[in-house]
Amino acid sequence: SPSVSIQFDLKTYWMTLIAEINQKLDEAIPIQYPQQIYEAMRYSVLAKGAKRAPPVMCVAACELFGGNRLAAFPTACALEMVHAASLIHDDLPCMDNDPFRRGQPSNHTIFGVDMAILAGDALFPLGFQHIVSHTPSNLVPELQLLRVIAEIARAVGSTGMAAGQFVDLEGGPNAVEFVQEKKYGEMGECSAVCGGLLADATDGEIQRLRRYGRAVGVLYQVVDDVLEAKTKTDNKEEEKRKKGKSYVEKYGVEKAIEVAEDLKAKAKKELDGFENYGERVLPLYSFVDYAAGRGFSVADA
Amino acid sequence: ENKQTQLESTFNFKTYMVEKANSVNQALNAAVSLRDPLKIHESMRYSLLAGGKRVRPMLCIAACELVGGQESTAMPAACAVEMIHTMSLMHDDLPCMDNDDLRRGKPTNHKVFGEDVAVLAGDALLAFSFEHVATETKAVSSERIVRVIGELAKCIGAEGLVAGQVVDICSEGISDVGLEHLEFIHVHKTAALLEGSVVLGAILGGANDEEVEKLRKFARCIGLLFQVVDDILDVTKSSQELGKTAGKDLVADKTTYPKLIGIEKSREFAAKLNKEAQDQLSGFDQKKAAPLIALANYIAYRDN
Repeated sequence: SPSVSIQFDLKTYWMTLIAEINQKLDEAIPIQYPQQIYEAMRYSVLAKGAKRAPPVMCVAACELFGGNRLAAFPTACALEMVHAASLIHDDLPCMDNDPFRRGQPSNHTIFGVDMAILAGDALFPLGFQHIVSHTPSNLVPELQLLRVIAEIARAVGSTGMAAGQFVDLEGGPNAVEFVQEKKYGEMGECSAVCGGLLADATDGEIQRLRRYGRAVGVLYQVVDDVLEAKTKTDNKEEEKRKKGKSYVEKYGVEKAIEVAEDLKAKAKKELDGFENYGERVLPLYSFVDYAAGRGFSVADA
Repeated sequence: ENKQTQLESTFNFKTYMVEKANSVNQALNAAVSLRDPLKIHESMRYSLLAGGKRVRPMLCIAACELVGGQESTAMPAACAVEMIHTMSLMHDDLPCMDNDDLRRGKPTNHKVFGEDVAVLAGDALLAFSFEHVATETKAVSSERIVRVIGELAKCIGAEGLVAGQVVDICSEGISDVGLEHLEFIHVHKTAALLEGSVVLGAILGGANDEEVEKLRKFARCIGLLFQVVDDILDVTKSSQELGKTAGKDLVADKTTYPKLIGIEKSREFAAKLNKEAQDQLSGFDQKKAAPLIALANYIAYRDN
């Protein structure tokens, strides 16, 4: 069936991209003096099992408009760096207090809280520095680069992911929805938009990518919550900590599945507007199916 | 009348400082407005608008004006370096780092807003500094703004400010820290951002490469000078005079210039750095260089 072939294509597309992105990230953070900080940065950025969804979405969005993959790689790496920085800080004892991330000890568990804070503080600027120093100037005009930098900075900032994390900690009315949008939707939106900006997409197309990326980002997290609820953890502490914070906790599995279906439809509807780009839009379509169904496991490939 | 002319011809640094600090404070106040979520923006503003001396923004503006640029051209970058300076202090003061309760005479950010908010508000200031430069810098080519962002990122990351903090943290409790090691800490922890401030201003003001490099060297010297003077003040002044905990370095058994080479030698070193800094300015229009010369002297002879 066509959906199977698309899924397979995405898998190849994704695997190839992940390998390239992993290599570029590895090269982007060489160990030098003082070693500890580079080791801490590398530990989180190059963590095994990272799905590289933000960089892949960025490259896919860039290629949709005929942009060169080489134009998108530095920004794709930067997205992963700032994302890693946010996660390192989110895990800190004074925040989510998570000793583990993706089944591995968190950054501060290995390197100490002080190094973890500094590793995050260093990864944010490294992302911007990487974009500036590595984006081929013949492929992307400086004005577009400035828009990309502003987009990433806004996404991780006080009205974006930092706001999401803040409300996640403080709670409050509509906290769950706010956190979904800001903590998870923001990165998806930013990733898609950056890809479009690098390929010089029109303002209308950027708006469409914005809505698409946000929907996929939130969808991914809602599905995560549903999957987590289905494989109920035995860890009482973990459950206590997350109580009331996930979509499923607040609205139940059925409503969450309903929301996921809505988000899936919404994301695909946005992509319908890109039909003039033909098959190049397929990777972005299959991204939606992947977020919704987890059609394959990246880890076992 | 003669006296009047003479007064006007001599550069009045105090007035200059007050005027520049005022315009920087206004720009910072406007740049970081109170938005939702309120608490995180209150936390950002609490530390950012706590009334620092605005040395970094002033260096940025002065370097821009020295090479013929406008204050308004450098203002977004001037605000950015102050935002980054502020966030590094917020994170530095955290219990897991220096564990400071007092900063600029007020309770530290995490004492007022909690550690979680202090971490997040610091991250937000860091991110916003880049957004601010990228979106608010006017009347300069995109190419120069991109260059400015690259310089800014480099001077505050693992090759700059953070490198200094890391080596500083790892040196605590080590008794045989040498001069070279101490200099690495200061050149990165303090001088890098001062260097960035000057270089950003110079690039935005239209400086050529040779001018940028001279000003870079100037900034490195006054950056190290800043820290040598800080070390001297820490042993010679009280907490009240400094607006922060004095004698902290001694209590923490930190290596300082006075500890390594004594107070007198430290003062001599400071004078040497000041001269080396000012030598870099000799090729520029001396009237336009007056603010940077005065700033170097201010850093050398300040008492808090």
